[in-house]
Amino acid sequence: MMVFSGQRAFLLQRLSALVLLAYVVAAALRLAFGAPAGLAEWRAWAAQPLAAAILLLLAGAVLLHAWVGVRDVVLDYVQPLPLRAAVLLLVASVLVMLGAWTALILVSHAL
Amino acid sequence: MRFKIYRYDPDKDSKPHWQDYEVALQASDRMVLDALTRLKAQDDTITYRRSCREGVCGSDAMNINGRNTLACITPLQGLPEPVVLAPLPSFPVIRDLVVDMTLFFKHYHDIRPYLTNGEPPPERERLQSPEERERLNGLYECILCACCTSFCPSYWWNPDKYIGPAGLLQAERFIVDSRDRAGAERLAHLDDVYKLYRCRKIMNCTEVCPKGLNPARAIEHIKMQLLRRSS
Repeated sequence: MMVFSGQRAFLLQRLSALVLLAYVVAAALRLAFGAPAGLAEWRAWAAQPLAAAILLLLAGAVLLHAWVGVRDVVLDYVQPLPLRAAVLLLVASVLVMLGAWTALILVSHAL
Repeated sequence: MRFKIYRYDPDKDSKPHWQDYEVALQASDRMVLDALTRLKAQDDTITYRRSCREGVCGSDAMNINGRNTLACITPLQGLPEPVVLAPLPSFPVIRDLVVDMTLFFKHYHDIRPYLTNGEPPPERERLQSPEERERLNGLYECILCACCTSFCPSYWWNPDKYIGPAGLLQAERFIVDSRDRAGAERLAHLDDVYKLYRCRKIMNCTEVCPKGLNPARAIEHIKMQLLRRSS
């Protein structure tokens, strides 16, 4: 696969969409059958290592999906190359920061 | 019947404008192209392309009441008035309803629209089984009218880089042809963030194809073949 093949983004978008779909179904089932009573119960659930790992995977999927989507919009609408590079850099920075923040919360909570 | 036509003569007009017309149709006038012929007799400055007048050549592709189609196979009956005739969206206008299709055909040539087979030719012809021939159905019928490409938002944003639905449908036509031996090279050529992957399955192409073809499915099939090739 070439670096600029387009196929990498195509694959990432679909694989992350599958993760999101699985999460939506699982979350709907959990809410329908035995939803946690309150915030404390949610926090206790998220503190379990397996739950934290699942949430981390979910956050990764959301961020990757968002990156491919926003990148596509930028490739279409932002034509000047310097501006495009700046916008993509900004988007990537925000997404990486969000990812790092999420990981920090989940890991510190789980430990 | 009332018409509203996009008019632009680069020799006279600084910018395009709309012009209203009213034309008395005869009983034999059934399609938009028939009405355009009447209008041309009324005002011979109206410029448009047409040739076969039976939906085969694709010359009279235009935007009729907001939808790309062929004037020669669009019935007048039932069209809301005034019938708005405009050139194909996003293509540079040469004059009135005539657009510049240079870029469109550049993309078409880019997919190498001919069979490539270096094997020695058989004595008579390269035969296909009925199943192999069947694979070309839904692809070979494309008349390159550009209705699909001109109605594709992805093409609007990157007309110089994205091949567009018509070109990709034609690419698929040669990729699946059992007589062609350049499938791998064709796929490798299309494996590009712009040439192929600008398609976001908006499906305007399939919606407006006057021949009832499905370029969106052809594009998806190319992507799937690329995926199989790399896995």
